[in-house]
Amino acid sequence: MKNLAEGSKLTQVKGARNSQGRSSRKSLQLILGIVLTGFVVMLTILSFFWTPWDPIAVNVENRLLRPNLSHWFGTDRLGRDLFSQIMVGGQNTLYVTLVSTLIGVTFGTTLGLAAAGSGPRWGSVLTRISDIGIALPSILIALVLATTIGPGRLSVIVAISFWFVPVTARVVVGPARQILSLDFVEAAMTHGRSRIYILFRQVLPNIAPIVIVQTSMMFAAGILIEASLSFLGVGAQPPTTSWGKILMDSQPLVQEAPYYTLLPGSFIMITVLAFNLLGDGLAVLLDPQHSQKGVA
Amino acid sequence: MIASAFAGSVVIFLLLRMVGGDIATVMLGTKATPESLAAIREAFGLNRSWPEQYFSWIAGVLKGDLGEAYTGQYVIGTEIAQRLEPTLILTFGSLFVSIPIAVIVGVYSAVNFTRWRGVAVDVVAQVGLAIPQFFLALVLVIVFAVQLGWLPATGYVSIFIDPVEAIRSMVLPIATLSLGITAVFTRFVRTSMIEQMNSDYMRTAKAKGRTIRSAAIIHGLRNSAIPIATTGVLQIGALMAGSVVVENVFGIPGIGRLLLTSVMTREAITVQSLALVILLIILGMNLLIDVLYGFLDPRIRHKEARE
Repeated sequence: MKNLAEGSKLTQVKGARNSQGRSSRKSLQLILGIVLTGFVVMLTILSFFWTPWDPIAVNVENRLLRPNLSHWFGTDRLGRDLFSQIMVGGQNTLYVTLVSTLIGVTFGTTLGLAAAGSGPRWGSVLTRISDIGIALPSILIALVLATTIGPGRLSVIVAISFWFVPVTARVVVGPARQILSLDFVEAAMTHGRSRIYILFRQVLPNIAPIVIVQTSMMFAAGILIEASLSFLGVGAQPPTTSWGKILMDSQPLVQEAPYYTLLPGSFIMITVLAFNLLGDGLAVLLDPQHSQKGVA
Repeated sequence: MIASAFAGSVVIFLLLRMVGGDIATVMLGTKATPESLAAIREAFGLNRSWPEQYFSWIAGVLKGDLGEAYTGQYVIGTEIAQRLEPTLILTFGSLFVSIPIAVIVGVYSAVNFTRWRGVAVDVVAQVGLAIPQFFLALVLVIVFAVQLGWLPATGYVSIFIDPVEAIRSMVLPIATLSLGITAVFTRFVRTSMIEQMNSDYMRTAKAKGRTIRSAAIIHGLRNSAIPIATTGVLQIGALMAGSVVVENVFGIPGIGRLLLTSVMTREAITVQSLALVILLIILGMNLLIDVLYGFLDPRIRHKEARE
């Protein structure tokens, strides 16, 4: 969740110093990001139809088997295949993240556009509101919500969205204002186009690259938050499994079976890294100009 | 800051009431008898109107009187006060560890930004961003507590009782909490420094005979302070959120651990006050960072004075 604000600031490289080597490194990032995210998403989709082992079949005789040829990541404390569990766990993690990101992007962009398009007074009110939303970490909101509506998917989705909406709004509002001050917008106004038409048909397409990059960054952050909440026991509830929950179960066994923690944890890390790389790469590919100015 | 604290307290208050609406049912569960529900509403003043409840809560916060927990049988205010020490040591400790490291490493990588050394810093920071804190915590426990046996895996010792043991017990938690935030700050310093490196005043400084490094440290760093300061807000929130995770992994009896226990036992009244305390710590840290950067860059000081 930490990297959102810097999203499109990552590559503030200017003019002559933007050497060939650097840009090829960036495209390498993009390719790596696409390949790795594609791999994780495919594995998760595959898990709906097939997993190497039955992810919930308890087999106590096989408990805590080290990684081997038949159990690639070993087995857990109940003898369940860890790799199959990670595949299935992706369903919950990615679903929660996807829904929260979509909510965040949709409402956040709308709010950001509204703040940019309305007068200075309303604009600053909306900015204030989003500042408060940003200051409240979503883990805190999730914990407060879990008290009332109980731990589970819904609390997590609401909590993550509650944070994503203002963050997106904040990222969108600056560039939207810049575009609004351009000549072609004024031309549209003199043509008698409505404010809403201008915001959605003329400003939105121009800030779309920023929104796309932001989406990818938020996806990475969402996975981290969901996993942390499941780890704390506030996210996915049994029988649903989730990446964070696998690590929660592994914690008491770090001494006996370090792989039980290390392999699923590395898997989460690589997934988050993949979405971050994708976002970084997209930032350069889609919008070199804005990523130089730093809009977050 | 006061406005944010006020707005934040309203959000927390409403979040606990909006969904479902009835705190008494939340605390006792849906199977509770009407009599016990009435009793708990009476005990916590939940039968009053929302504005009344809100203002009596805030008045209590200002007086330091937060009432008593329902199932825990403890005085909430005292309990929170006792748990402040570990949380503050953990969070401020991490902040003080990560900022200097981030500044040094970030400037170093910006100065060497076309060379592999600078790139290496970027790659390491990228990985640091992607590690979930709970995973990092467990990895550190596996390496330093289980395999090497150098440091304790869990537990907390107050610095006022046994300073050596206290430091030993805080090394892994602070390391866990600082890594992510160090990575973020490093990247901020790096990107904003790289931008400064190409500016006209840097060229002037170099023309005057400064080396790149000294120009970067003397002129560049001050000028890159603003972008770093403005994005500090998000990082502090992340730091507090992280402390909830870290306290629970390392068994540190701080605010975060109390919060999670209270959530699990549906101790809504405690959760409400704890969330506010955490928000206040976040705002307080923001203020601190603003002041620090104000010292670094006089323009920030003057800008705030104007507002």
